[in-house]
Amino acid sequence: MTTEREPKSKASRDGTGIKSKEALVIGGGVAGMTAALDIANQGFKVTLVEKAPSIGGVMAAIDKTFPTLDCSACILTPKLSEVAHHPNIDLLTYSEIKSITGETGDFRVKVHKKARYIDEDNCNGCNDCVPVCPVELPNEFDENLGFRKAIYAPFPQATPHIMTVEKKGEPACRATCPAEVNAQGFITMMRHGKYDEGLEIFRRSNPFAGVLGRVCVSFCEGECERGMLDESLSIRNLHRFLADYERMNEVAPVVAKIDKKDRVAVIGAGPGGISCAYQLAHLGYPVTIFEEREEPGGMLRYAIPEYRLPREVLDEEIQRVLDMGVKLVTKTKITSIKSLQEKGFKAVFVATGTWQSNKLGLKGEDSEGVIHAIDFLESTCRGKEITIGKRVAVIGGGDAAIDSARVAIRLGAKDVTMIYRRSHVEIPAIPSEVQDAMKEGVKLMLLTSPMELIVNKGKLSGVRCIKMRLGEPDTSGRRRPVPITNSEFTMAVDNLIIAVGQSADQKGVQTDVECSKWGNAVADPITLATKTPGVFAGGDIVLGPNTVVKAVGHGNQAAISIDRFLRGVDMMEGRAKHRHRVQSYEVDKEGVPLDARAAMPKQGVDSRVRDFDEVELGFNEAMAEEEAERCLGCAVCCECERCVTACQRDAIDHNMKDEVIDLHVGALVLATGYKLFDISEYTQFGYGKIPNVISAMEFERLINAAGPTQGHLLRLSDGRKPKSIGFINCVGARDVQKGVPYCSRVCCMFSIKNSVMCKQHDADIDVTVYYADIRAFGKGFEEFYENAHTRFGVNFVRGRVGGVSQVKDNGTLRIQVENTETVKLMEIEHDLIVINPGIIPPDGLDDLAVELSMDLSEEGYVDVRDTILTPVDTPIDGVFVCGCADGPKDIPDSVSAGSAAAMRATIVLSKGDE
Amino acid sequence: MSKLDKTNEHEEHTPSSSFSREIEKEPGGADIQHCIQCGMCTASCMVASVTEKYRPRKLIQKILLGMREEVLTSELPWLCMTCRQCEERCQEDVSLAEIFHAVRNIAAREGYIPVGVQKVVDTVMEDGWMLKDGYSDFIEDDRDDLGLHTDLGWNNEFVKKIKKRFIDGGNKK
Repeated sequence: MTTEREPKSKASRDGTGIKSKEALVIGGGVAGMTAALDIANQGFKVTLVEKAPSIGGVMAAIDKTFPTLDCSACILTPKLSEVAHHPNIDLLTYSEIKSITGETGDFRVKVHKKARYIDEDNCNGCNDCVPVCPVELPNEFDENLGFRKAIYAPFPQATPHIMTVEKKGEPACRATCPAEVNAQGFITMMRHGKYDEGLEIFRRSNPFAGVLGRVCVSFCEGECERGMLDESLSIRNLHRFLADYERMNEVAPVVAKIDKKDRVAVIGAGPGGISCAYQLAHLGYPVTIFEEREEPGGMLRYAIPEYRLPREVLDEEIQRVLDMGVKLVTKTKITSIKSLQEKGFKAVFVATGTWQSNKLGLKGEDSEGVIHAIDFLESTCRGKEITIGKRVAVIGGGDAAIDSARVAIRLGAKDVTMIYRRSHVEIPAIPSEVQDAMKEGVKLMLLTSPMELIVNKGKLSGVRCIKMRLGEPDTSGRRRPVPITNSEFTMAVDNLIIAVGQSADQKGVQTDVECSKWGNAVADPITLATKTPGVFAGGDIVLGPNTVVKAVGHGNQAAISIDRFLRGVDMMEGRAKHRHRVQSYEVDKEGVPLDARAAMPKQGVDSRVRDFDEVELGFNEAMAEEEAERCLGCAVCCECERCVTACQRDAIDHNMKDEVIDLHVGALVLATGYKLFDISEYTQFGYGKIPNVISAMEFERLINAAGPTQGHLLRLSDGRKPKSIGFINCVGARDVQKGVPYCSRVCCMFSIKNSVMCKQHDADIDVTVYYADIRAFGKGFEEFYENAHTRFGVNFVRGRVGGVSQVKDNGTLRIQVENTETVKLMEIEHDLIVINPGIIPPDGLDDLAVELSMDLSEEGYVDVRDTILTPVDTPIDGVFVCGCADGPKDIPDSVSAGSAAAMRATIVLSKGDE
Repeated sequence: MSKLDKTNEHEEHTPSSSFSREIEKEPGGADIQHCIQCGMCTASCMVASVTEKYRPRKLIQKILLGMREEVLTSELPWLCMTCRQCEERCQEDVSLAEIFHAVRNIAAREGYIPVGVQKVVDTVMEDGWMLKDGYSDFIEDDRDDLGLHTDLGWNNEFVKKIKKRFIDGGNKK
């Protein structure tokens, strides 16, 4: 869609149409601050919008100003504080302009205020949250030389004096997990060796760290961003390690804290039921779980073989839930939900699962030798004696099929074949399980389907199969298998295990509520409420046979619904997921060294097929820590909520949302500043490749007392004091070939100032400035240049540098330059090279120009109406410009332009009606 | 930005002379007036790094100052290896290799060709390649050691045909 915008410069100059007497300043650098203060001091309201968490702009990061060598922070800080406390200034930091419409005197502006997850009124910037934050990332304010935390204030004098949490959204791992386990959270804790804290984070949303650490299908690993780089993290095995670590060490006792009155009944002690009870017990509800069988655990206990899930792990994790005050009643089959409600249970959660094995629908399915997987696995789990023949075929490709096949091997079958009608791509079982089964001798017969069971004297003797090919995808998205004519064959088998899915018991307790024709309970997909008030259903009984982690997810969601139901609150509110999922392009993977995922140590094949001992042995501490280190930390903040605990003023809110603020203003001032040219484009200088070639802003932070080295001038490569430093000017400025033909206007004086600062740090340092010509045009500049030369002893060489190379192992650099005054081609060695980058327009200025229907200059800066007579007026009426938004400026010029723009803006505002 | 527009309004930073105007009109010489004598070319020059007499910036300066005779009779414009490193780095987008090419064209037209260069040209004209005399027994042995053919299969008849058709026959010197 194209929209034609009205040109914005036709508004009247006589004062009609001035509908708002407020101003908006975009950009909180020194120019924008000056403009805002000057407008505010004339009695007009002004809103100052800044993209970064703090105002102050680049000046806040600079060490000293030229030519007076004033401390930049010292002269800026009073201004910062004045802006923050001015009654006429409304400060919007961490905010960006979303749209601008209207014309002079009547602009409508939408500002996107990003969530900083901090209550601006409550936070006092005390920094208590910073030491507890486990997420470290490069500090942009220190030019990425040092580190900061995910919760941070960019610099000590940051204004407003509050913290900001950098959070990009929800990481893929957590977004994909049905139980919403905060994988990035517990993995971040593991990186710091804080296993107990990691486990605590896991257990917020899932009581089964050890169980699911062994049997989860790990949807998270399929989506893990690291997989886009090399291999996904072994997330499942990491939380298994957390549980193992706790078992190996002391386990903190669980304290029951049931303080509510409303009793809740859970039918079925499977993973769904237990999770629901666990979450409700957390909230203080008295919960009773009713279980038909002898022991709790459901499919975990009666279907998953012991070599995958040792029962003591399961027992311990269930016991933890019971220790929280959950009552368990076993060997009790509930036949009526109503009777439970009559007994005083205010809410009921039905999680009875699907225990009926599906039939193949072939003749002879009830003959001797045909076994259904669920019965087979349950018998094995109960330790019943089962005799099985030498040749076993398993029909199906799910986890039950793989488990059955591997159990059959362990029971002594010599020839176990899995018959699956699709290909290895569609096979639904966990890939590592399929691999392990094959290693143990299970044969995979893919694209094959049984047609007929051959029964001899009431006993199964063989199975006739047909080969399949894959056709078009069906409704499930998988390609439909199509039989190949004349491809039938017969294979002799002693036993056939049927593992083609399970269904709900058609006569089960769930039939008290509305059910589908397959006998599954019908529940709202988000709240899990059934049509009967107070009755909720989840897990396999709703979904049909599904994964453990989905059952846990349902248990969690049901608990939230039940709590809200009992409190009489709307169950739906805020439940639909609309959090931004961190996208692949948002995760910086550049420079991350490739590293394969940690392999799980396993018991040897020969010994493991003889018994039911656990196959996967678990990570050791070193492996776990190394694997956790691979996490890319996609969302930045990992929501471990350590900061929430540390904050004494209750100022952190991790659920905060972005806001859109509507402004109505009469005049706009653009003070969007600049960015520095990317000097790594000059390959001959080796910036980014040679360690001791740094940019001027990095140098500023290095000599700054508040910088990463506390103001000690050191080489970052080896921590040595440089004895000789070279400054290279005009890089990314006055370069026709690179598209920046203009002078950046500050780099001559900037390099002179920095060279003087070197000398002030240590007079013995040999400092040389390489220049094309020195442009010392401002007040006091020429004298400063003269002083640098004569008083401080800085060398000046006229001649542009050809290239920089590292010549010695100790990091010494060599440059080639022609001294054009002496016509001498010289090779000079330095310990440190500082490159002065040119100034270019900032990111986003072009977007802003589109919003204003304003043309930018050829170089990408704001054009002014007349460079000589109206130097701060843009071609759009009511829009003014200052600072570097219309071209490179030094600080004094930026400030003058700020004042000028403020005056021009208030002339517009003052024409408005009183 | 359009480079063409930029070139037209590009300021002339330097003194201009009739010789530099002359170079400007030669193919490849158009950018000479843009030079600001910053020294980036000399600092980047491979030839300058091995011989003190060759300083590309200095040579451009002489052209700009109109030292026509000195430049044309000098062997210096012939020393440029056309590696174009200077052009790659020149922040004013001056094509030194092209300018020196233009200088050599003028010099050749006026008969100033260094003896060494003339010899090379003669050899090529005669033999069709530069190194016929250089192809010695030693090189033959080296090629043999490397398992390469020692007979390069040079065809003098073909060279003669080419010369007749394109050079002698075309009435060109």
